[in-house]
Amino acid sequence: MAKGDCDWVSYLSSAQRSALVENGVRKIHYKLPDGKEMVEEYNISTDVIQRRMWKAFDPFRGEKWNVELGDPLAQLDNVDSIGIKENSTAPTLTKRITKKSIEWRIRNLPYPRDVYSVEADDEGITVRTSNKKYFKKINVPELERAGLKTDNSLLSFTHQFNTLIITYKKPTKVTEMETKILEMAKLVSPTKVPDLKDAPSECRPS
Amino acid sequence: MASIAAAKVAEVRETTRVERVGAHSHIRGLGLDDSLEPRVVSQGMVGQLTARRAAGVVLEMIKEGKIAGRAILLAGQPGTGKTAIAMGMAQALGADTPFTSMAGSEIYSLEMSKTEALTQAIRKSIGVRIKEETEIIEGEVVEVQVDRPATGVGTKVGKLTLKTTEMETIYDLGGKMIECIMKEKVQAGDVITIDKATGKISKLGRSFTRARDYDATGPQTRFVQCPEGELQKRKEVVHTVSLHEVDVINSRTHGFLALFSGDTGEIKSEVREQINAKVAEWREEGKAEIVPGVLFIDEVHMLDIECFSFLNRALENEMAPVVIMATNRGITRIRGTNYVSPHGIPIDLLDRMNIVATKPYEEKELKEILKIRCEEEDCEMAEDALTVLTRIAGETSLRYAIQLITTAGLVSRKRKSNEVQMEDIKRVYSLFLDENRSMQFLKEYQDEFMFNDMGDSNDAMEVTDG
Repeated sequence: MAKGDCDWVSYLSSAQRSALVENGVRKIHYKLPDGKEMVEEYNISTDVIQRRMWKAFDPFRGEKWNVELGDPLAQLDNVDSIGIKENSTAPTLTKRITKKSIEWRIRNLPYPRDVYSVEADDEGITVRTSNKKYFKKINVPELERAGLKTDNSLLSFTHQFNTLIITYKKPTKVTEMETKILEMAKLVSPTKVPDLKDAPSECRPS
Repeated sequence: MASIAAAKVAEVRETTRVERVGAHSHIRGLGLDDSLEPRVVSQGMVGQLTARRAAGVVLEMIKEGKIAGRAILLAGQPGTGKTAIAMGMAQALGADTPFTSMAGSEIYSLEMSKTEALTQAIRKSIGVRIKEETEIIEGEVVEVQVDRPATGVGTKVGKLTLKTTEMETIYDLGGKMIECIMKEKVQAGDVITIDKATGKISKLGRSFTRARDYDATGPQTRFVQCPEGELQKRKEVVHTVSLHEVDVINSRTHGFLALFSGDTGEIKSEVREQINAKVAEWREEGKAEIVPGVLFIDEVHMLDIECFSFLNRALENEMAPVVIMATNRGITRIRGTNYVSPHGIPIDLLDRMNIVATKPYEEKELKEILKIRCEEEDCEMAEDALTVLTRIAGETSLRYAIQLITTAGLVSRKRKSNEVQMEDIKRVYSLFLDENRSMQFLKEYQDEFMFNDMGDSNDAMEVTDG
């Protein structure tokens, strides 16, 4: 992965881009020179990124998209065809970006607030529970791309409605980088007939 | 199937495997040195020097992997080591090169057309080495819960609770995964890994914290620490799967778990075309590598004319494996026609083949083979007994002599001796008839057998065509 401010921005600018505006969402598809593919979705009214996902190679089930940011794609497979999956009561982690901060929400965590400990170290953020029910190492690619380390003083968390919300204030460097990328994304004019055959579709043709 | 399993569970050896001695289990390779010269006795192979040398050359061709669609015919009398040479090639190629072994008559099935069976065999012999990142779930089993519906029919519902030192998660299980868990006898306290992409479960051992659950444990029980950190880990792995497995995984009706149950049925040609295109694409992108393997068809004269013409065409495909065939027939009728051809194979197909002949063993070689078999079957034999047995092998057949080893071993054990003596051989020789003596017996007494009034006995044995 590209490191440093210029690197990430220039890495994305070297991509072949195409855009599509749909339901108030601007979708940008990046075809990167190293063969990777990435999709970003921006809310048109707020200009905040809603989702970012990377195409993954899965020889067993065709194409697959790994969601780095935003709500996960709807899972259409049932447990019989995939064999094993987390129970619906298992904690799930989603990440979203707001104007000021990066947020992680871990749902289905019913334990009281003093059970959790959230710490930042050089590799990322670690969530622990004193009752040994949940553990997660979260890495923060946004900071990595800006060449920054996670800082404990920017980190805070709250717990309500069975959800643990971890908030990390965005450093200015990250915000600047995001603005640059957004400007770049706005330059891509949405095509009438978008070349998005590689982009994931919500509706899977059978 | 074997290759996929071997690729994935290389680290974990099965603990409850029972070794069985098969007809060719003494063969560990072709017995060639680095310059492909055959050693007289090596790796379980004896004699047959030119045929082994030829097989070595073929082996080099396969290892280079450049040439597709060659056919090799191993021709020779019964019991001259054709299957042994093929097995030796399989061993020498190693587990990473797909080697499919089938008998000619395996293609005749009611569930599948002949060409489908052949296509599947061909595609089983082409491997795809795929590098990918998979999710591995590794943890200690806290609880396995399988609910059967009250009516007794319908799908089972299963839950599996896994933990590490730091966390605990409940997983839902699908029907096939429940079967896998039952088959592996996973129970609370086991430390297991599950490959999320393929659904392969492997047991690492039992958790140390459960060491006192039972008063006695088997000698193979391994105790391991409960894993640390997160339950799911990303790991880059290299799988070698065969094209057939990719076909099965992608034929929608079955899903990848059909691989473990084996009910694959026929696969549509559209699916195969798509897979071929996909694999070519992966290859270009550097994600996958093609490993052409070997398809071995024993008793190839049992194929009929349709199969031969299908093979003709299939061998021209650039993705075709190297096909090795073996036959013990001379000039005979091609199945499904009234034409007579060498080895029962049409001339046009014969023309595409490299023919390797195996010759009958000499007496010295027979003795070596019998010695090797004695070792393989843990049977000690006196020198004079071995000489007698060699004589028997020369006069009747090698297979008959090999069968006498086992039986003579049992007889000697009954009289509480660890060594097989001449008298044991004599005893089993009188107890079990070889083919010639059996025929002699029949000729003498055939009037007293049932249905002996069929007329001329020569035609009665001929194979009829379907």
